[in-house]
Amino acid sequence: MTAAVQNATLADGPTAPAREFIRRQSLGGWMLLAPGVVWMLLCLVVPMLMMVYVSFWTQHTFSIESTPTFANWIAFFSTPTYVDSLLTTIRLWFITLALTFLIGYPVAVYIGLFVRNRTIQTSLLVLCVVPFWTSFLIRILAWRPMLGTEGAVNLILLKLGLISTPIEALLFTQYSVIVGMVQIYVVFMVGPVAFMVSRIDRSLIEAARDLGAGTTRIFFTIILPLSLPGIVVGAIFVSVMVLGEFATPAALSGSKVNLLGNIIVTQVGSLKWAFASVCGVILTVLMAVTVVGLLRIVNLRREI
Amino acid sequence: MLEIQSLTKRFGGVAALDAISLSVSTGGYLSVLGPSGSGKSTLLRVLAGYEAPDEGGIKLDGQSLATVPAHERGIGFVSQGFALFPHLSVFDNVAFGLRYHATSPLRDTAEVRKRVNDILEMVGLEDFARRQIQQLSGGQKQRVALARTLVVRPRLCLLDEPLGALDANLRQRMTIELRRIHSALGITFFHVTGNEMEALAMGDRVVVLDAGRILQADEPDTVYNSPASIAVARFLNRYNLFNGKNDGAGGIATAAGLIAAPDEAETRRAGEVMDFCIRIDKIEVLPENATPGPNQAHLQAAYITSEFSGAIITHLFRLTDDRILEVEDHLSHRRPAEYDPGGRYSVVWPRAEGLVFPAGAGTVPMKAAA
Repeated sequence: MTAAVQNATLADGPTAPAREFIRRQSLGGWMLLAPGVVWMLLCLVVPMLMMVYVSFWTQHTFSIESTPTFANWIAFFSTPTYVDSLLTTIRLWFITLALTFLIGYPVAVYIGLFVRNRTIQTSLLVLCVVPFWTSFLIRILAWRPMLGTEGAVNLILLKLGLISTPIEALLFTQYSVIVGMVQIYVVFMVGPVAFMVSRIDRSLIEAARDLGAGTTRIFFTIILPLSLPGIVVGAIFVSVMVLGEFATPAALSGSKVNLLGNIIVTQVGSLKWAFASVCGVILTVLMAVTVVGLLRIVNLRREI
Repeated sequence: MLEIQSLTKRFGGVAALDAISLSVSTGGYLSVLGPSGSGKSTLLRVLAGYEAPDEGGIKLDGQSLATVPAHERGIGFVSQGFALFPHLSVFDNVAFGLRYHATSPLRDTAEVRKRVNDILEMVGLEDFARRQIQQLSGGQKQRVALARTLVVRPRLCLLDEPLGALDANLRQRMTIELRRIHSALGITFFHVTGNEMEALAMGDRVVVLDAGRILQADEPDTVYNSPASIAVARFLNRYNLFNGKNDGAGGIATAAGLIAAPDEAETRRAGEVMDFCIRIDKIEVLPENATPGPNQAHLQAAYITSEFSGAIITHLFRLTDDRILEVEDHLSHRRPAEYDPGGRYSVVWPRAEGLVFPAGAGTVPMKAAA
């Protein structure tokens, strides 16, 4: 083949074998994508659209019909119980998020930065996960004998003479719910942060020190920004799980704390699907806004 | 003036630095040559304050650094991997030491901008201030690391294999750049390297380090022309090394044959084992049956092959004890000679050019003790 002929073929675009190759490759790509797409459509997109749709249905006492109405939405935002529940959910979510960060971050920095041995690092992270070897319900219910009026905490404080009468506020209040949720979810903050911190090159810290920066300065200008992707991932984990919570308040609040999750459980229990859908949509929007907002802080694709 | 006095650092009982004493005058350029594991990186880390010495002391301009923490020493450290902050721009990386110094931060933003831009201009990166670190090439990162360290005007700048991560072409250019920056700023440079040519080219003094000890500290041409021991000659990679017994008649009996020793060898006791070396560019190749002159040392050798590298050609010969002898020819001096592979030749050199050392002297301490 002469050069001229070759150039002509190139100008015409891909040759027949090349076209066939590209076609097969894109076909292969689609085939790899298909199971995921089908799964996401059936299990995520369709149910979500259904939930939004049902939230506008007309609810009768024990039945539901597809006549569109805003009644459910109006009912939600004009009933103090539900609005309170939404506010409680947001308040407890923020408190839990803050506490998991305050407790989890130092632990993660310790594991990721101060423990130099990789094996010990991994062992410590595994230790954090050990509580997950028992069931969720047992972990939650175990707080009752800890926090109750005659529970371990009160008993120890009494024996030490620090208090004269048991503190009743420990259990079946929002504090016990916060304690329970923080204990369960703190590990989801520790993991991602420890991972990011352990990837910080130690020579960066030495370089910062060499340039005259003190420890506090190094923490705020080097370690904190470089661990930010870990904090964001941890915050997403904790947020998504706390916003969907219903079991911990059910077990530890003595029905005094009702999160949106608890409302949904109750509504579904009394077959009020339309109303449960309203709560579901609100929760979903809240989570979506949170996740999108957190992801705007860092470019995870670049960092991890 | 940097003074290091009998500095010792042990790791698990093994001395990484073994009573190092050294002084560098202000504004000097010292290069430290040593193979990996010679303790050169440990020396830098102790100087920078990342590691505490077990014994000995360091004085900078008369002030002892024993109790001064790393961030207050006024010593800059350019580490091997550059250690640039990946989340900051070039400008913010360079400004770091000015803005965040624990005791004397520079709060005037206009002044920060001026000094950062000045130093970026000096390293030739004035247009890169807004770039992210990920967008830089190896050589540019090297310059940013250098600028970041030098912008705070340290009293001493430590460079840990600064050219190690660069390709050969860039290495050459940065060598010239480094010397230029050094003379422009007048800061004392302490340059550590495993590359003998780099050490000789950069320093106005060269310290050869092995197993935590100083083997030689001299000007580059002294180190090159008269290494203090056979170990230094070995690190220079420019000498053919031999080992043999003084025959008491002006010769050294090596496995490859009898070598005519330089005069000083004759005064030593007969029967003494000694190390001998001859620089590769001092050797001449003659036909096998040529008679060497009265002041020439000679050995029999068989030609193997030649390595061509631009202006230099290195011929490899096999000695009678099967060891390889290197002979370097500078092509600018003469046309390259052609030798027959497998052919026998006589390799000769002026006997006064040979260097002899008591056997094992100046090598690793264990060997010397044996």
